[in-house]
Amino acid sequence: MINYPQISIPPRSDHLWRYTPWKRIHPTKVEEMPEADEIKFSSGIDTKIEDSSEIARSFIHSISQTSKKISLDNETLELDLRCSGHICSGQLVIESSGKSNLIIRLSGDAGWTGLRILGIVDGSLSFAVINDLASDGHLLRCEDWIVNRESTFEFATLSAGGFLNKTDIRVDLEATGSEMRGGIASNGYGSRHDDHHIEIQHSVGHTNSSLVMHATCDGSSHSVGTGLLTICEGADGSDAGQVFRNLLLSEKARAEAIPELEVLADDVKAAHGAASAPINPEQLHYLSSRGLSYQEASSLIVEGFLMDAFRHIKSEKVVDTLRTRLLVHLECLMNG
Amino acid sequence: MGDEVLSINDLHVSVEGNEIIKGISLTISVGEIHAIMGRNGAGKSTLANVVMGHPSYEITSGTISFRGTPLEEMEVFERARAGMFLSFQYPSSIPGVQVGTFLRKSVSAVRGENAPSARDFRKELKGHMESLDMDRSFLSRYVNDGFSGGEKKRLEILQMLLLNPCLALLDETDSGLDIDALRVVADGINSIAPEAGCLLITHYQRLLEHVKPDFVHVMIDGKIVKTGGAELAGDLEAKGYDWLEA
Ligand SMILES: Nc1ncnc2c1ncn2[C@@H]1O[C@H](COP(=O)(O)OP(=O)(O)O)[C@@H](O)[C@H]1O
Ligand SMILES: [Mg+2]
Repeated sequence: MINYPQISIPPRSDHLWRYTPWKRIHPTKVEEMPEADEIKFSSGIDTKIEDSSEIARSFIHSISQTSKKISLDNETLELDLRCSGHICSGQLVIESSGKSNLIIRLSGDAGWTGLRILGIVDGSLSFAVINDLASDGHLLRCEDWIVNRESTFEFATLSAGGFLNKTDIRVDLEATGSEMRGGIASNGYGSRHDDHHIEIQHSVGHTNSSLVMHATCDGSSHSVGTGLLTICEGADGSDAGQVFRNLLLSEKARAEAIPELEVLADDVKAAHGAASAPINPEQLHYLSSRGLSYQEASSLIVEGFLMDAFRHIKSEKVVDTLRTRLLVHLECLMNG
Repeated sequence: MGDEVLSINDLHVSVEGNEIIKGISLTISVGEIHAIMGRNGAGKSTLANVVMGHPSYEITSGTISFRGTPLEEMEVFERARAGMFLSFQYPSSIPGVQVGTFLRKSVSAVRGENAPSARDFRKELKGHMESLDMDRSFLSRYVNDGFSGGEKKRLEILQMLLLNPCLALLDETDSGLDIDALRVVADGINSIAPEAGCLLITHYQRLLEHVKPDFVHVMIDGKIVKTGGAELAGDLEAKGYDWLEA
């Protein structure tokens, strides 16, 4: 029995669906479960994954033919996900222990890609997703993470490819001493639509989270960042922070940055903020005074702003890879 | 001497309709070190910023030229490429941009075809960083992001050494430095001084013990009220500015 078509379509009044409704991200007609090609995983073993009661997850589950599992123990893995065909999908289970790095790169010219990830972190995992999909592709990405006791989850996304993207990430800090540090960099250009929704739940006390999302907004792009930070009853002594920032580069671009906070515990440090601003003229002047033309100076500021989303990510391997990919991406954009 | 690097003629500058610089004339030639001293708010930084082309300032009358070329014809980046350098009193931070990347881009923009190869650049950089007592880890930090006052000033001087300007404007590069760092900064200035024109803005005499100015100008309320030799700095230290006020 598959849940999908029975799940009622979420209303747009729902925070999660306000800017990219289900109808818009579904690849065909909402009642349909189209045939999908498999995402080609460069490694992983076959596994089974449970269905979900959440509509997007259940949909990906229902159309996916492959589910892979990756286990990491004190290692670094770069995983390529090739997405091709009209509609393409896959599911992935990640189990990590020790001190590990996992870098996933999504590429290919699929018209529509669905990716569902379930992850459990034990020890310390630094995890990055690089969206390098073709510039006319659609992506639906859903992730659910559990961070174990005294474990640290670093989570980074470089969202550079695709035309219409919806990402829904949930992280559960469900044991004492668990910590999450997240960074999302979204590069908006052309008429790209990039929607990130991140829910972080502090289920018990003495758990920490920090999330930074930086979006550059050029052309007539639309960037959306919505966050829901929940500090559950009894999760005392937790520390959480979220910052969403947009760099406005064009009058026609739109940007939504909406962190929400729900604190049901005591003695909690929780801060959230959102800001949108154009390039700071003092930064431009400083770089110009060092010989950079207006164009060179602004591209460097844009590049820096995107990289700065990863300021809390400590894994050098991950940050270096993200920087390299970002530079390649920006260069490609510039050369048309 | 006699080669004019900077020549300012009866300059008036306003910010948001307020006149800050009220008629300044000043000529700096190759090999000369000029110092401008004055209280906070006198307009010293405004003068340096306007020379470098900061967009907030409006020149209401007068002229500035750099090696004979009127500056209004030059964009900020062209001024830098032509050999002008300003060590900012408050340098901007550029989060996400590593110092190493920034320096490489700046050097290749300013030195153009004469920019060093990657290998020579690294060598040059290493030499200057050692002389400034800067750790290599500086290069992977983000430009001025979370830097202490002293670290920012060192980075400014490092840039000056790499860009090797023919006009160096140093706006309070000495403030916030301990005595060792001050000596290091002074060595940097002295090393470029013979081939360049230098304008040091300061309100302490300290730096001037290590860098001997040829001229000291006192600025009060947007005007140069007195010009003298190095000894004037000592007088100011002893007597303050009151005796110069009309
Ligand atoms: N960008 C600006 N906007 C508004 N006022 C300014 C600006 N820059 C300078 N001023 C004003 O000009 C005067 C001189 O400032 P400044 O040149 O910084 O002095 P100094 O460097 O001698 O301390 C001050 O009154 C200051 O408030
Ligand atoms: Mg000043």
